[in-house]
Amino acid sequence: MGSFDHNPIIEMRNIEKHFGPVIALNGVSFDVRPGECHCLLGDNGAGKSTFIKTMAGVHKPTKGEILFEGRQMSFDSPRDAMEAGIATVYQDLAMIPLMSVTRNFWMGREPVKRFGPLMFMDFKTANEVTMSEMRKMGINLRSPDQAVGTLSGGERQTVAIARAVHFGAKVLILDEPTSALGVRQTANVLSTIDKVRKTGIGIVFITHNVRHALAVGDRFTVLNRGKTLGTAQRGQITPEELQDLMAGGQEMVALEGSLGGTV
Amino acid sequence: MKAALKTIAVSAVAATALLGASSAMAEGERYVLVSHAPDSDSWWNTIKNGLALAGEQMDVTVEYRNPPTGDLADMARIIEQAAASGPNGIITTLADPDVLSGPIRAAVDAGIDVIIINSGTPEQARDLGALMYVGQPEYDAGFAAGQRAAGDGVSSFLCVNHYISSPSSTERCQGFADGLGVDLGNQMIDSGQDPSEIQNRVMAYLNANPDTDAVLTLGPTSADPTILALQQIGLAGDIYFGTFDLGGDIVQAIRDGVIQWGIDQQPFLQAYLPVIVLTNYHRFGVLPGNNINSGPGFVTADALDLVADLAGEYR
Amino acid sequence: MSSTGVVVDERIKETSKLRQALIRPELGAIVGTIAVFAFFIVFAGDSGMFNAQGVLNWSTVSAQFVIIAVGACMLMIAGEFDLSVGSMIGFAGMSIAIISVTLQWPVWIAILLTFALCIAVGALNGFIVVRTGLPSFIVTLAFLFILRGFTIFFPQLIERRTIIGGISEKAAGDWLAPVFGGKVGGSFFNWLAEMELIAVFERGTRAGEPIVNGIPMLIIWALGLMIIAHVVLTRTRFGNWIFAAGGDAQAARYVGVPVDRVKIQMFMFTAFCACVFATCQVMEFGSAGADRGLLKEFEAIIAVVIGGALLTGGYGSVIGAALGALIFGVVQQGLFFAGVESSLFRVFLGVILLFAVILNTYIRRIITGER
Repeated sequence: MGSFDHNPIIEMRNIEKHFGPVIALNGVSFDVRPGECHCLLGDNGAGKSTFIKTMAGVHKPTKGEILFEGRQMSFDSPRDAMEAGIATVYQDLAMIPLMSVTRNFWMGREPVKRFGPLMFMDFKTANEVTMSEMRKMGINLRSPDQAVGTLSGGERQTVAIARAVHFGAKVLILDEPTSALGVRQTANVLSTIDKVRKTGIGIVFITHNVRHALAVGDRFTVLNRGKTLGTAQRGQITPEELQDLMAGGQEMVALEGSLGGTV
Repeated sequence: MKAALKTIAVSAVAATALLGASSAMAEGERYVLVSHAPDSDSWWNTIKNGLALAGEQMDVTVEYRNPPTGDLADMARIIEQAAASGPNGIITTLADPDVLSGPIRAAVDAGIDVIIINSGTPEQARDLGALMYVGQPEYDAGFAAGQRAAGDGVSSFLCVNHYISSPSSTERCQGFADGLGVDLGNQMIDSGQDPSEIQNRVMAYLNANPDTDAVLTLGPTSADPTILALQQIGLAGDIYFGTFDLGGDIVQAIRDGVIQWGIDQQPFLQAYLPVIVLTNYHRFGVLPGNNINSGPGFVTADALDLVADLAGEYR
Repeated sequence: MSSTGVVVDERIKETSKLRQALIRPELGAIVGTIAVFAFFIVFAGDSGMFNAQGVLNWSTVSAQFVIIAVGACMLMIAGEFDLSVGSMIGFAGMSIAIISVTLQWPVWIAILLTFALCIAVGALNGFIVVRTGLPSFIVTLAFLFILRGFTIFFPQLIERRTIIGGISEKAAGDWLAPVFGGKVGGSFFNWLAEMELIAVFERGTRAGEPIVNGIPMLIIWALGLMIIAHVVLTRTRFGNWIFAAGGDAQAARYVGVPVDRVKIQMFMFTAFCACVFATCQVMEFGSAGADRGLLKEFEAIIAVVIGGALLTGGYGSVIGAALGALIFGVVQQGLFFAGVESSLFRVFLGVILLFAVILNTYIRRIITGER
């Protein structure tokens, strides 16, 4: 794993986020290096969503600092974070089902041909790039005009990932990309993650499924009640330990015993 | 001898006209009546019935058209459309000369005979090249009513205007005010067309202005809820109440003494007579020499029975 | 697991050409248009509906619908409604009348000021909707009443009337008025009349002139707006943003589409279209009335829905909406020529609307693969 030779692309230090009286994040540190898949695990309500939204520029941290490629950064909007190279694929808000794959792929960054003041969308280029990027990810589209609604859940995630990669993401945040998928589609998405990692992009993979995390992850950070419980390297931790960390303790061990296996 | 010659000449002219007419037009003429009334205005039912009856009696085809929302620009299109379908004659109201004069003049110029009914004035009808005007001049009717009310000791009033966007409605109120010899000012309210809204607005106005001597409504749409409003606040029969036009409830209210008089413009005639006039003109070349005033006539508690029987149908 | 290769799901059937044609938003409207014309050619072919005057009549009415339907269509695709269109028509007309007749300012200033005013109201509509997050239904319903109220109140206050006329006299010689109220192609129609292809006036001051003496600018506006809107929607970057804003505003925001700006601009465009409608009407008829444009907002929305747009936004077609408007206009005028009682028009309208919505829902299911 050569990724540890590099400096982190993004480093979040002691991030705190308060919503009024509620402390959603209470000192979270986290970093991603090029070409690694850093899994962020945690049970529902652990603060994963708040944390990645902070990284993606949706929320501003109450305390703590964000270093991007070694420099301190403050993102005012998702657009800012995106310009810097932080792309986020949200679980269900990634795609617009009624629009074609091409229109979705290029949404917000349409290629244009200028005729005087008019900016026409360059559909020829757009379609070609879309088809070829999707092919790279292993999906053969029937046609770039195909509506995203006709794609399976895994394919939609893949379109979103391909889109982020194409637009030069340095860090790709995947918010529970596998949680709503079947076994086979999950495998497809995990293999897509693997392909993307090999191109040198740092991936933040949010999940609460230990097995999915262990399948592709290089490092694992567990969040619980707004705090980091620690980070482990691949091979240094067993699925059971990870599961315990996530559930936050002893009750889970007891429960597990009575259920006779990994939950 | 001279008289005999004259008779011969006249008959010759009539015969020529007859020949000309009958060679151009076969039996079964087609006439289209275009009104400005929205669908919700029940008063126009009398017009429809009068039209249908005349069509039946004269053995001609008659059609009734109106803009569903009362939008006069839509009405202009309906007149253009009627002209395009090439009828023998068009009978239309002239609710707004600015909007309607273009299409009406075009129809006249295209060779279609037009009679103006109900709204508008004889002068406007003549300007447009229409054959005649059949109706009740609105301002004059309002003025006459105002004078009558003044004679009965009225000096302030409420005009319930349910069709504020039509200038002729406002003219009725204005005429009434001028007939009374007072300023219209704020005595006219825009009541809208919804019965319960009208009722509540009338009650609100009368509560706020307890000195009001009289109420004037402009037709069944505003009169029926106003009757209810007066009953509710105990002024029915107490306050002086006059209305334009007739309808079932209005007739009953006149009988009960709630309404002093109704101004009957006899809409039946406005639909019936033009069809008769046009048909005879097209068949025999005969045409009355002047406009026809279908109203105003004041309907009071005396001689109400016939009106009551036919109210809403032919009256 | 790293080499899954090409992902092909053998359970996804190849869609047939027919199914592919079905998911074009315009399809329903195209079929409807053909059906409507076929119907009227059979039942009203010799009634005058298809002579020059008749054609002009239903095309003018349809063009009116097209103008407001184009605006409503773009806005609906962007995910919003504007129920204040009808009131805006009345309001704009009255504004032109008051400025030009009452204030005695030149007509071109009246027109330009009115456009500015209407677009500002459109922007306000949009601003309130995006700022408060309230449904546009409610916000624009409020403006339906506000604008209609002003339209009745101001002329009554100023002129003690609810109809202001005399604009034609004021507009004579104005440079901007003919852009809305003029006619084009007069010499062509004169030629047609000489060739005895169309009828001429038999009497009056215009005897000998052709009954149809030009194509009203209203129709030119309708065609122009339709073409521009269609190109913008389907061929430009901004068009993609309109689809995105209506398809899923949140998803669009995440990828950096300025959703709020797009929506506000669409509200402004809808107001612009309503103002074009009103200006053409005022210039043609020479007067403005407080009752102008009643219920036009619903007619616009109905035309858009017949044209295949989804009420929920994100999907639709300007061409479809224009065809929907054509169906609307042709049926409304055609039932008269076919000798059908005019009140039945509403029955027909309800039926066709229901069919259109059911068809649209079916189309959406095909597209999104919902069951």
